[in-house]
Amino acid sequence: MARVIGGIGASHAPSMEHVYDAGENVRGADEWQPLFGPFEQVAKWLEELQPDRLVVIYNDHMDEFFLSAYPTFALGVADEYPIADEGFGARPFPPLPGDARFGWHIARGLVADEFDPTICQELEVDHGVISPLPMVDFAEGEGGWKIPIVPLAVNVILHPLPTPRRCFKLGQALRRAILSYPEDLGVVVVGTGGLSHQLTGPRFGAVKEEWDREFMRILVEDPEPLCDLTHEELILRGGTESVEVVNWLAMRAALPGDAKPVVEAYYPHRIMGYGLQAYAVDGAAA
Amino acid sequence: MTTTTELTEDYLRRLDAVQPKNLPEDLDLFDEETATRGIRLNKAAYSLKDDEQRRLFADDEDRWMEQFGLTDEERDLVRRRDWIGLWRNGLSIYVMVKLSGVTDTALPEIGKQMRESGGKA
Repeated sequence: MARVIGGIGASHAPSMEHVYDAGENVRGADEWQPLFGPFEQVAKWLEELQPDRLVVIYNDHMDEFFLSAYPTFALGVADEYPIADEGFGARPFPPLPGDARFGWHIARGLVADEFDPTICQELEVDHGVISPLPMVDFAEGEGGWKIPIVPLAVNVILHPLPTPRRCFKLGQALRRAILSYPEDLGVVVVGTGGLSHQLTGPRFGAVKEEWDREFMRILVEDPEPLCDLTHEELILRGGTESVEVVNWLAMRAALPGDAKPVVEAYYPHRIMGYGLQAYAVDGAAA
Repeated sequence: MTTTTELTEDYLRRLDAVQPKNLPEDLDLFDEETATRGIRLNKAAYSLKDDEQRRLFADDEDRWMEQFGLTDEERDLVRRRDWIGLWRNGLSIYVMVKLSGVTDTALPEIGKQMRESGGKA
């Protein structure tokens, strides 16, 4: 049977793509080392853990889905996921490998648990997936992506949004779907987005360091009370676009309660509170 | 009455929480109101995911705009690169980013305009 062997929470942002694409010198420079250094630690940890699959809970930024039909939850059931053109031409990465069979199983698992995602046999992924992923899962010069993914998209941009509690339950349902898969796969669940940022209106650029740190702490120690927060409260604490943290909440709910971070970093910089956590699961090491 | 038993306090509280309504005026949302108002602008800027549309925009901005039935005011906002105005007229920030690409506008520039806009118009 499949196992959940770890979890990762990571911010996503076009800025991270620009820094990554600018090469090792920029990544290693003082300005970005507080973020990219810890990402390297996560990459090393992941290499030792050797997961067979990543389930990536993220949000699209109107690069695959549009207002004509905007899904609250959407699940990939494809064998590959091309990189979306976000308006600047697609980043030059090969399509991410998928696992359609595993994706379909997760679809059935979610539906059995009364979650009904839009099921996608074709899905282009945007920076919600591929701004953090190359840092942990891309072998430069060695032919590319290492671990097949299953993407799970959550609507965090067109209100009404699924509540934090709903997203927590989604993570629990995802866990059951993974555990019930008959193949012996080690799975790491990834949640991307946040932390605090405000991209619209006169408060553009506001970063809320205190709340971000508190959020990360609560997520480790006792995440369930975060379900009581409304989106209004999340917005007041972290900014309009910070509601993406529900993706982290879903990721956390897919892990055992006693999972502990082995890598943790927070870097408030420019217009973002960048966060990173990698959770180890007891007894998961093969 | 059935309604009093079905519409429990808990349900009404949850229904209320789904739509943030006590936010300060300068913390705006993308919701029913903005998504409805902004549908033309969003369709227009969303088209810029396509390279052919980007070329059309570069060649002849007015002709590009004609495809989407934009109002005169909306066209004007696009021509003036009035980012805060576009936001207030319902252009989602994530779709706006696609318009920033073809107009060669960096995000900090958009941010500067947003910050300097003060309270809601």
